[in-house]
Amino acid sequence: MTKNIRNFSIIAHIDHGKSTLADRLLEYTGALSAREMTAQVLDSMDLEKERGITIKAHAVRLNYRADDGKDYILNLIDTPGHVDFSYEVSRSLASCEGALLVVDATQGVEAQTLANAYLAIEHDLEIIPVINKIDLPSADPAKTKEQIEDAVGIDSSGAVLASAKEGTGTKEILEEIVRKIPPASGDDDGPLKALIFDSWFDNYQGVIVLVRIFDGRLRPGMKIRLMATDSVYEVSQIGIFSPKMEPVDELTSGEVGYIISGIKSVTDTKIGDTITDASRPVTEPCPGYKDIKPLVFCGLYPTASHQYENLRDALNKLRLNDASFNYEPETSLALGFGFRCGFLGLLHMEIIQERLEREFDLSLLSTAPTVVYRVTKPDGEVLYIDNPAMLPEKFEKIEEPFVLTTIFVPKDFIGPILDLCQEKRGVQKTFSYIGKDRIKIEYELPLNEILWDFYDKLKSFSKGYASMDYEFIGYRDSDLIKLNILLNAEPVDALSLIVHRDKAYYKGRQLTEKLREIIPRQMYEVVIQAAVGNKIIARESVRALRKDVIAKCYGGDITRKRKLLEKQKEGKKRMKQVGRVELPQEAFLAVLKLK
Amino acid sequence: MPEFLYIHIPFCVRKCIYCDFLSLPYDESLALKYTDALCRELELKKNRATTLKTVFIGGGTPSVLPDSCLEHIFLCLRNNYSLTPSTEITVEANPGTITETKVDMLKSQGVNRVSLGIQSFQESELKTLGRIHGADEAISAAEMIISAGLTNLSLDLIYGIPGQTPGSWKDSLDRAIGLSPKHISAYELTPERGTQLYHQLESGSLTMPEEDLILDMNDLVIDILAAAGFEHYEISNFSLPGFTCIHNLNYWNRGEYLAAGAGAHSFVKGYRSRNTSDIRQYMESLSRELIPEIEKTEISCEDALKEFIFLGLRKTCGIRLNDAAGLGLNIAEAASRLIQAGFAEITSTDLRLTRKGLQISNTAIIELIENLGL
Repeated sequence: MTKNIRNFSIIAHIDHGKSTLADRLLEYTGALSAREMTAQVLDSMDLEKERGITIKAHAVRLNYRADDGKDYILNLIDTPGHVDFSYEVSRSLASCEGALLVVDATQGVEAQTLANAYLAIEHDLEIIPVINKIDLPSADPAKTKEQIEDAVGIDSSGAVLASAKEGTGTKEILEEIVRKIPPASGDDDGPLKALIFDSWFDNYQGVIVLVRIFDGRLRPGMKIRLMATDSVYEVSQIGIFSPKMEPVDELTSGEVGYIISGIKSVTDTKIGDTITDASRPVTEPCPGYKDIKPLVFCGLYPTASHQYENLRDALNKLRLNDASFNYEPETSLALGFGFRCGFLGLLHMEIIQERLEREFDLSLLSTAPTVVYRVTKPDGEVLYIDNPAMLPEKFEKIEEPFVLTTIFVPKDFIGPILDLCQEKRGVQKTFSYIGKDRIKIEYELPLNEILWDFYDKLKSFSKGYASMDYEFIGYRDSDLIKLNILLNAEPVDALSLIVHRDKAYYKGRQLTEKLREIIPRQMYEVVIQAAVGNKIIARESVRALRKDVIAKCYGGDITRKRKLLEKQKEGKKRMKQVGRVELPQEAFLAVLKLK
Repeated sequence: MPEFLYIHIPFCVRKCIYCDFLSLPYDESLALKYTDALCRELELKKNRATTLKTVFIGGGTPSVLPDSCLEHIFLCLRNNYSLTPSTEITVEANPGTITETKVDMLKSQGVNRVSLGIQSFQESELKTLGRIHGADEAISAAEMIISAGLTNLSLDLIYGIPGQTPGSWKDSLDRAIGLSPKHISAYELTPERGTQLYHQLESGSLTMPEEDLILDMNDLVIDILAAAGFEHYEISNFSLPGFTCIHNLNYWNRGEYLAAGAGAHSFVKGYRSRNTSDIRQYMESLSRELIPEIEKTEISCEDALKEFIFLGLRKTCGIRLNDAAGLGLNIAEAASRLIQAGFAEITSTDLRLTRKGLQISNTAIIELIENLGL
């Protein structure tokens, strides 16, 4: 049975105007009046607005009477716009029959656009190209169309020309959605089969789950089973977003909506899981479910040890809302008690750290991010190491995660980008022209190498024009060793790192130099050494402080000088005491600044 | 009531480039009015019941005042306070403002200690510092003071001056000793924010000597003065036996003191307070018989303990363990790391910083305060 329902997503590179376009669609269909619109309604977290990216997916129902005189329900399923969240994107796409591919007419196709467009093609979605920002003087719709055909390989002759900013093309887009995207179909009378594509925690209602119903009916009071976690809940409320939450009595096949059912934690609602009727289950869940694992890890420590409990509470609260990061208590000899946290990627890591500091007012110290290494011990036991300090001294083999990195770059900047990939131990897989001026390259690179400063360099070498995306392709053997940093002959676990053997000397030298600049002079000389095994490969020292004194202190100076000392003491408090050495926070990130 | 009195005279012929004290260009009519206001403040705070142990007239440059003003102040002091021949009465003076008659007058008014701001005996260094006098003038001022019978003479010297070398510093020290003072204050030059020196360093027109050289100069002053019989009793102060400055020691012992004058600070009954630094406001308040105090803070227990430590450790004799114990501080334990590393020493009665510890006293004191949980 087919219905007048169209489920679609918007695929776009950051800043290509996805959120603005979504706003226009909401406005045009009357979901929200212009007055009700705060800029970019769908991005509800402050951080999302600031960074211009979408972290969590949302779904909004739009009611639209098309030119054919019929009324349609259009469900706009918003997708997170960053590679870190590509699994979430894939689940959102799996809930749709079509997608708008939004490309900035002044920028052209970017790596991110391509990655998500391919995902959409994999999911058999009908893709409607939209060329946005045609109001800008530098817009080149013809060239953009050509790029879409070259890079994505879809017919772009019917692409809608739009300016989300000015509202041009909005109606044409809605018409195209109705005309081109296949109607949602399904069997209302079959057993319930619904795909979870998002969930979040609400302080008042508990976990809210977003689903796409493929078959069957969902009503309040029903007992539902979550197939992957194999748990049963009773539905207390269902509804849609208009974009305000509106309870409904029934959701049937093809529809998109939310479920509230007394679930306490988002970790119980895995994205991609299938919901079915507990009393009349489907035999096969929706395909494509994956239990996603964090790729990037770092240690997070409170600067002041008494904030440990606060940090734990904050992590716990954030995890209520974001099942894709995890944390475990960890103890560092240098930093005391903290947590080893896993993230989907670097952006995800930054977002979580920023939220911890901003929303929970914590002062944090984070160790350099690391990937998970697969280490085989001489006895054959396989360990997954997400903390360099834990690398055993002896092992049979060590493997590191590799990613296939896709880079789009204007041809004028290709030289330095190729050098960069080479320097980062990359292996070129493809090299092709997209149109006349742009090149697409694919490299296999160790994830570890792109964690550090790869993206910044890519941007700076290309004056900001290059874009990149990557996907995990598996573990590979590597000649990796542990580089230890010693302060006054004591190894500091939080500063150790795993590096490629060929780079150990270079990195050791650079790191000790960097630390010498960062560590302030103190009462004792600080000797900084880099070592591989028992072998010292670099040495620097910070001379002992020899003069720090107030020459004059008489009757009129006492209060002022006391405050001066207190200020100096505060500065010292922000440092971490490691053995006898006081380390400023930057020291733990010095490793990130290595070339 | 406090037995120690400080009087501030905020005038100088010219402000030195490193000075961050309250000081204005000398103007006779302003000085006369200021003296009136100062004497009114001294009257308002009058206390004949307590015998003063010290009076310290500092500045600025007290010796820049006309004799009539100084006489007026001393008269006011005698009328309103209880002074005895053993009261230490110090007046700060600068070469270039000293005459024989002025010295005689001071002596006749009961002054028994003069602190003379010589700073250096090298013409180039004096010029860099913005001093109004040369070395010869400094020498004749010192001789004038001593020959008038004011033998308890203290000389102020500065080291770490841009362009100074250990050699020139040693020469200045030798020449200072040659003038037979009883006391020497030797200050490391500190570029305070807002001073002309600070700006000149920022702009690069002056450069401070290398740290190693300054440390050498610090060693030189301690060693040379020790050889001449001077005891190092506070970070920057040295005296022949029996000639420590009683007034200043009171600050480091955290004793109470009364103060009069624009910008002057008092410490009475646990409160630290401060007069306005605005000389017009100061005079205006007093014309209405009001004490021109603009800030009065009760020192909390914690701050009192911090003061006890950071002031006490300025003295080379350090802190008495009994005093610390009486305040509930286990200072020996808190200092254990400092002692171990040779920054501090402990005896059965005292904890004190070593020479090496005094040079980094801020860091050492912070560690101590931290370890004490303050």
